[in-house]
Amino acid sequence: MLDQVKQKAKEILEKKEADGVLGLRKGLFDVIHPHVFTVPSELDALVLEPKWLFAKMARAILREKPQAWRLAVIVRGCDERAIVELVKRNQIDRERLLTLGYACDMDQAKACLCSRPFPQKLDAGAAVEGVDPLADERVKAYLEGDAGKRMEMWAAQLKRCIKCYGCRNSCPICVCVPCKLEDDVWVERGVIPAEMISFQIIRAFHLSDTCVACGACQEACPVGIPLMTLQLSMREALKKDYNYEAGLDANRKSPVLFDFAKEPRPGQAVPDWVDSMGKKP
Amino acid sequence: MSAERGNVKILVFTCRWCGLIGADGAGRKRIELPASYRVIQVDCAGYVEPDAVIRALASGATGVAVLGCHVGGCRFNDANHPALKRLELLKTLLDTTGIGGRRLLLGFGTAHESHQYAEMIVDFHRELEGMPSMASWLPQGE
Repeated sequence: MLDQVKQKAKEILEKKEADGVLGLRKGLFDVIHPHVFTVPSELDALVLEPKWLFAKMARAILREKPQAWRLAVIVRGCDERAIVELVKRNQIDRERLLTLGYACDMDQAKACLCSRPFPQKLDAGAAVEGVDPLADERVKAYLEGDAGKRMEMWAAQLKRCIKCYGCRNSCPICVCVPCKLEDDVWVERGVIPAEMISFQIIRAFHLSDTCVACGACQEACPVGIPLMTLQLSMREALKKDYNYEAGLDANRKSPVLFDFAKEPRPGQAVPDWVDSMGKKP
Repeated sequence: MSAERGNVKILVFTCRWCGLIGADGAGRKRIELPASYRVIQVDCAGYVEPDAVIRALASGATGVAVLGCHVGGCRFNDANHPALKRLELLKTLLDTTGIGGRRLLLGFGTAHESHQYAEMIVDFHRELEGMPSMASWLPQGE
């Protein structure tokens, strides 16, 4: 798979489809770091592991470069979804960005509890079946069962937060400036552990319709709070109610803030005389 | 785990075109209501961002109610649809964490439905009394 990716990346650079390819490079002393390859011969040092999300990085690079400069990014499934979400929010210009997608293997999918471990535009590798995160035992313990018990469980987990903002910084979609989590009105600053309801629930809810389930927040968390698990129920609800999944279609906006007339929430009682919600598109 | 009994504080965000007038009407009709709630008037239920609800819970409110016009009968056309959709999603998150989506009440009524307003507040108060205490989630005293 690595050779395939290298080959494709070389083609992109040789044909001048893009001016740079963003990927991981095994540099001096075998240190692996993100790198923008601009010369085809450089690409021999390209590697694919470990998992590294480039969406936010691509955004930063494109902002710095002149308008005509184009970037190709080597992406996994989750990375591609994150890029789609950023495109929706006008953070990335799709015209200037190429993706070179490769599929994760089964082990990686299992480690991430990923339900979609392959990009939609697959250039290398074979797509493997995803894992249903809600079927996992560890996840079940946090999402199902007695509410009072869960309340204590989550409280015990979130209490360990050292407020490093790692979850926010590593999230490929958290790009707001200014951030509410740094505002005294919403979250009191300088308090450790973070105020649990304000900090954690506001952060989780801001990503409710955006989360692409990449698991970066969970991996970045130094104390190991299962942060991605917190998002799963909301992702599931959006899927069930609106058939919406973040990061799949760049043209479909979040159903929470758009499509009022088209998509009434199932089970919501709407009086007969109201036609604004019942209207068929 | 202790219950919230006797400790109930309700924060009501209500739209000034429907819910607030309904609340006024309930007062004018001398309907007996629990003393545990306070009303914040907003121009539309769509103004109430979920973060405000979360912040209210974090600041010690036992429950939060958001009241707007009937869905489809909103003064600002579609404005209470996003309120409904967003807050329903927030309920999902509150349920996940075990805080309980029942702490958030969504109500849609018109200006002359003061009896319904009263009933909603009384029922909500009674429901919150039975909920487990949120103490483990709140910062420990000063």
